[in-house]
Amino acid sequence: MDNMTLLYTVPHQEAFGISIAIYFYLTGLSAGSFIISTLAYGFGFEKYKSLGKVGVVLATLLLIAAPMFLLLHSGRPLRAWHLFVYLNATSPISWGSFLLTIYPINCLIYGFFMFRGNARLTKIFGLIGIPLALMVHGYTGFILSFAKAHALWRTSLMPILFLTSAMVSGVAMMILVTIIKDRFFSEKRQVNTEVVYGLGKMLLWLLVFDLFLSLSDLGVHYFSEAESMETARLFLTGALAPTFVGIETLLGKVLPLVLISNSRTRNLAMYGFASVLVMVGIFFMRCNVVLGGEFIPLL
Amino acid sequence: MSKTRYGFLIDLRRCIGCRTCHVACKAENDVPLGVYRTWVKEVEKGTYPQARRQFIPILCNQCEEPACTTVCPVVATYRLPNGIVYIDPHRCIGCRYCMAACPYAVRFIHPERNVAEKCDWCWPRVREGFGPPACVSACPTGAMVFGDLDDPRSEISQILAREPAAVLKPETGNDPKVYYIALDDAAARLVEAGGEE
Repeated sequence: MDNMTLLYTVPHQEAFGISIAIYFYLTGLSAGSFIISTLAYGFGFEKYKSLGKVGVVLATLLLIAAPMFLLLHSGRPLRAWHLFVYLNATSPISWGSFLLTIYPINCLIYGFFMFRGNARLTKIFGLIGIPLALMVHGYTGFILSFAKAHALWRTSLMPILFLTSAMVSGVAMMILVTIIKDRFFSEKRQVNTEVVYGLGKMLLWLLVFDLFLSLSDLGVHYFSEAESMETARLFLTGALAPTFVGIETLLGKVLPLVLISNSRTRNLAMYGFASVLVMVGIFFMRCNVVLGGEFIPLL
Repeated sequence: MSKTRYGFLIDLRRCIGCRTCHVACKAENDVPLGVYRTWVKEVEKGTYPQARRQFIPILCNQCEEPACTTVCPVVATYRLPNGIVYIDPHRCIGCRYCMAACPYAVRFIHPERNVAEKCDWCWPRVREGFGPPACVSACPTGAMVFGDLDDPRSEISQILAREPAAVLKPETGNDPKVYYIALDDAAARLVEAGGEE
């Protein structure tokens, strides 16, 4: 109502801050690069064999780094062992404490057999790792959708939205990794364009799906109940429009989509540039979702 | 032993916005600077000379279906048999998930202990028989009533049986147990964007 003025209320502490956004970003990259790594060793796409080893190393390192941000965020990091002793079946963080332990261990085993050249066991642990990679990132979507106080978060699209953006950022990272690895560290100093263009095609369709999900999410919010409508306006025309519409959507998704799908910009420099844009865009997406969700105070 | 189910009632027609409850709570529970277990939200409706202030004391609703206990990964927050949602400060890891889930924003991280804290209707005080919660004892106009919802003879049950009462954000399905008489829902929900710290 227009005739009311808020004279006094207290400031509320922020529940999830930038460290949670970084954590989501890193697990997303990890899950994405793990799945790319299994393309050759789990599913037999020989074209992507060169990405198997670098993929699993990145997936493991990123997933060792990610929980550090959770400890940083937590008020009592030395009590982290409580997570394994006192369980709550309805809490996604409780699921996550096990996923975040099993997944990197599986990554290590999978990587170990890959480097030892044991194709059969590599395939087995690669295939075990796929549902784990999906869960380790999917559960982070459940973390937000179970925090039902905030209109932006309480949507069942959150897990699939997070998985899609994880794949998007992961594939973009693998394109960059391929370019850098081939250009500077391979014997011939020549980039394998077949791999880059193959990943580019994958990125293209993932970006289309990601755009579809993110716009349908906000579209439904826009016509939903009061809090959702306010949140949608915040993102589409309000204070967060520059980061959401500008950086996340236009620079991070639409422009890379144009660069990758256009045959005139089909060269390594443009693909590399598009990948950087995508990775920055997804980082902003994590920040928009995590920080934007709490932007409007509750009471 | 008969079962008790605590409830809380605030008659906003009696509230004068003096914030004695706010101060009493700070003193009773040693609430540090910058955080609040209860506070009085103040909204002005209309413009002078046709203006009136609404005072809405806000505290933990001790929900029947709390969002905070659902998401706590270590069960550090749980419902007592009398309905009060309590926090075990020795088990809490300070992950702030309960703060993200609570629709009433009553939870905070204690700046010194680094664990979650909130209003517990002064349960340690009530349990030891020191009377009702500090805010109820301190309220100069008797606007706050604390008592057993399952006892039909209690003051709160008798008032709720005859007066129309409302709760904050009933749509959350949390089944909150702080009842307000003469609640202006739109005023209670009024917020300013970007106000979170």
